Amino acid sequence: MRGSPLLRALLAFFIIGLMGWPLWQLTRPQAVEASTPAPKLAAPSAAKAIGLHLSFTTVPKSFVVRHLDKEVWKGTSPEADMEQQVTLDYPAEGVDLQLHVEWPDGAPLSALRVQLTDPAGDMHEKSLWGKGVMDEVVTFP
Amino acid sequence: MKATFLSLLAFLALAMAGGAAEPIRVSSFSTILTEIAQQVGGDRVAVTGHVKPGIDPHEFEPKPEDLKIVGQAQLILLSAKHMEGYVGKLKEATGTQGALIEVGDGFTSLKMKSEKNPDQVVEDPHWWQSVSNTEKAVKIVRDELVKLSPADKQTFTDNAAKYLSTLDALEKWVKSELAKLPRDKRKLVTSHDAFQYFAKENGFTIHAIEGISSEDQPSSKKVGEIVAAIKAEGVKAIFPESIENPKVMTEITRETGVQIAPVLYADGLGESGDVATYVGMYKHNVSTIVEALK
Repeated sequence: MRGSPLLRALLAFFIIGLMGWPLWQLTRPQAVEASTPAPKLAAPSAAKAIGLHLSFTTVPKSFVVRHLDKEVWKGTSPEADMEQQVTLDYPAEGVDLQLHVEWPDGAPLSALRVQLTDPAGDMHEKSLWGKGVMDEVVTFP
Repeated sequence: MKATFLSLLAFLALAMAGGAAEPIRVSSFSTILTEIAQQVGGDRVAVTGHVKPGIDPHEFEPKPEDLKIVGQAQLILLSAKHMEGYVGKLKEATGTQGALIEVGDGFTSLKMKSEKNPDQVVEDPHWWQSVSNTEKAVKIVRDELVKLSPADKQTFTDNAAKYLSTLDALEKWVKSELAKLPRDKRKLVTSHDAFQYFAKENGFTIHAIEGISSEDQPSSKKVGEIVAAIKAEGVKAIFPESIENPKVMTEITRETGVQIAPVLYADGLGESGDVATYVGMYKHNVSTIVEALK
């Protein structure tokens, strides 16, 4: 075989490089679109105006109403009957309200009525009993 | 003479006291009932848990050594609702004189379709996924122990009351934790249909990948239905179970993109750590569900 070894080596590298290009094109990593689209998330339930009404047979020292662990109504000098409009997500499945109520020391067992007027205007109510410190969850509707 | 007589009396008193201290022999075929018997019976019972934590009770079959122990037991506790398919053989083979109590049979049953035979409706045996059912089970075990040893009535009543107050506190904790999860996100995709009692009490919708037993393999139609439901309802996570193979779960996550949440304990208590107790197991399940879905 004639020609310089250096020239032959350069020629060999050139040929390998030419063959390598299509091979790299075939095997290079690339973003592939998922065959299945990501799941469509259910539309979040929109925040709606809700009417809340609390009635106590013994007026407490304080109370807090929470929804999904967030405070939606706080009463530091409550009365026997109180009303408040709050804005909550109100899905068809309903809502849980967390109630924390504190009565004065020595106060007798008290009845507590929670009335909720839903976005459609329908009223629902739940009754509870408590004394001292009460933590309860009430579910509507 | 007087001293000899007194010694004899003391010996007889000690012997009688020794007889009274003989614990009641209890055989249990559920990790939950094992814990209940231990909690209520205290040191007045010797409980053998035949189904150990981490063992699938759907697949458990008693061995000869189990039958020998059951033959000598004074109280045999079964989950019932067809969980123990071997109950007939157990009665026949052991000839036990002990009281055999099928605890779950007294509770209202939820029904489910059998995956093996979709035309067949069967009882869901996983009643302990409802805390209020477990409270009823405590009372049943307490009453059975009192029947066997009326002299220990006060001990069993006190122990049961203490355990029931723990379960009351658990029920309250569960409500408070779940209140952090919106009701429209309470969709539970699990690896076998074991959480119906939990779901009914707490407003969840269940999509079980398998039928009633972790041995069952779901049909492709059923998997297709679950994939469609996950996509349509925006389910965020699916929950494998502590015992069986999560292969089908992996296939569904690939198709839907939902995450696989940490395992839930469906069929009984875990082997060690917090999940080795009923309260710990239940809290683990609830915390896992809330964290994954909220």
